[in-house]
Amino acid sequence: MAQVVLKDLVKTYGSIYAAKDVSLTVNDGEFVALVGPSGCGKTTTLNLVAGLIPITSGDIVIGDRVVNDLDPKDRDIAMVFQNYALYPQKTVFQNLAFPLQMRKLGKSEIDTKVREAARVLDITHLLERKPRELSGGQQQRVALGRALVRDPAVFLMDEPLSNLDAKLRVQMRSEIKRFHQDLNATIIYVTHDQLEAVTMADKMAVMNGGLLQQYDSPANVFANPVNMFVASFIGSPAMSLVPLEVASVDGAVALSSAEGWSLPLSDANARKVATAKSRKVVLGARHSTIRLHKQQVPGAVPARVYTVEPTGDITFVQAFLAGAVVNISLPPTAEVAPDDQVWLEFDQERIHLFDGETEMALRAS
Amino acid sequence: MTSTAQSGAPRGARRIDGWRWAGRIFLAFMLLYTALPMVWMLLTSIKSGFAAMQFPPQWWPSEPTLASYQKLLDPQNSVGQDFLRFFWNSLFVSTVTTILAVAVAVPAAYAFSRFRFPGRKFLFFAVLLRNMFPAVIFLVPLFILMRWLGLVNTHGSLILTYLTFGLPLAIWLLKGFYDNIPFQLEQAARIDGATRFQAFLYIVMPLSVPGIIATAIYSFIGAWNEYIYAATFLTKNEQLTLPVGIQRFFSENTTDFPGLMAASFMMSVPVVVLFLLLQKYFVRALTEGAVKH
Repeated sequence: MAQVVLKDLVKTYGSIYAAKDVSLTVNDGEFVALVGPSGCGKTTTLNLVAGLIPITSGDIVIGDRVVNDLDPKDRDIAMVFQNYALYPQKTVFQNLAFPLQMRKLGKSEIDTKVREAARVLDITHLLERKPRELSGGQQQRVALGRALVRDPAVFLMDEPLSNLDAKLRVQMRSEIKRFHQDLNATIIYVTHDQLEAVTMADKMAVMNGGLLQQYDSPANVFANPVNMFVASFIGSPAMSLVPLEVASVDGAVALSSAEGWSLPLSDANARKVATAKSRKVVLGARHSTIRLHKQQVPGAVPARVYTVEPTGDITFVQAFLAGAVVNISLPPTAEVAPDDQVWLEFDQERIHLFDGETEMALRAS
Repeated sequence: MTSTAQSGAPRGARRIDGWRWAGRIFLAFMLLYTALPMVWMLLTSIKSGFAAMQFPPQWWPSEPTLASYQKLLDPQNSVGQDFLRFFWNSLFVSTVTTILAVAVAVPAAYAFSRFRFPGRKFLFFAVLLRNMFPAVIFLVPLFILMRWLGLVNTHGSLILTYLTFGLPLAIWLLKGFYDNIPFQLEQAARIDGATRFQAFLYIVMPLSVPGIIATAIYSFIGAWNEYIYAATFLTKNEQLTLPVGIQRFFSENTTDFPGLMAASFMMSVPVVVLFLLLQKYFVRALTEGAVKH
């Protein structure tokens, strides 16, 4: 296994940046998820690391080698594709053996390694079958097997679970996590599903528009999103974002809305707001940190219920607040109905504040 | 099952039967239409010269004989010598055409399918442009070209001409095949340790075998049956291919109908055998090309 370093990686198509100045370090044995909406540059970045597309500028270092100009075959990587890309004319055994044959290993050595990989992934009974005779989950395992059979420095995985049905996806998710732990493998994993990233990865790299937005542990990304994009992309339902204006109410700093109400801020939050470039500030809050009241209480602000979605153990409520939609989670016993007038109370310790112009998180100076 | 369903089912079944029978009658008619000339050819070929000319015609030969076949296949006989010569010429021209067509079309089609190069669309259109015109339009220009190249009266002139006509279609057909082979298979192979060429050789080539076979059959049949160019470019008897040779040879003075029919029948044998052996690939290839474009 090895570490992977990306330095100022750039990929352009004409004047369009598919990846712009992407820099990150994947430590030896780390599981890193590249996550973002489609077209954000995550797959491009993975293909750049794989060598399947040439880089425009920057450096890729795998282990202690700069691999910028090396062929994929010389980078000591393995890749699992979204559609598995199993060789349809070959049996499972031959699929697993192919990378070893290409490396000119002896016949008995190939046999030993293929059977060992098959045993690890519990596909020994499938070795003589063709890929089309396998279920989606089995194909997925074979694809993993083909990657693992030759003990590469880095595993690259491009949305390996997105072709599976929901139940199998959850099961394979834990298997891949287990695979990572057992092998202590360095894995770079691309997904558009933030839940996969959060549950599996040691670190996640959130990308948007070809730019790396934030690179940190899932817990830190969740707790301290650097900007509004990350805040709204990570977490489900998404973090609610309410655009407001800074105002002074009775000598204290508050956020005021066009609807006339204002929300006084704690001292810590007032210091954050002071760093904003203009009066425009966006209030962010996760669904679980907002309290819903059916009567007016001090510090709570008025909102109107839009939808109520019971899911069994949690009831999600969407409400309009100052023209924005706010998500709130409630116990299933809560009695709220659409169009109810309610009051929302924000936890000053757990709200997020963003600069309305730069969309960056405000931090106390 | 309810009584409604029971009473409803036979009526529906009868209606379906009606269509099925109409279909069968249509197929029978088509079979007759296509097979009758072949049957007549075969029957005439085993008649004696006199029986073939009788009127009213003898539908079934009263004294079937394989004399015509014996004559054609006898290398000691002058007729047999000519026929076998023509057969060999056709086989040579068609086989070389086919091999060259496949050898050029495979890399060309792969390039059109996989690479993005300047002028790709224009070139692909240019390749297909030839198919917009009837083949006979090129007869005179190609003849002048061949004379200039000193290729008139050589099999090379035919091979080049057949490639001109066969290659565009071969490239088009094969490109459809390559388009249907996921590019990620090659990417996987390259990550698994193959060079780009090895990925093509070990992964893509085996998957495109049906396409290559279909393309080969198509080229072969085209070259095997071609008449006009062979009749124009070749004048020496010993070089003629079967379509021209049979026509010239058997109608020179008086027409030997049983001989002509026997020769025609034997000419169709290689094509029929090829087709029977490989027809499933051929049909698949035509539909696959059609779906893609």
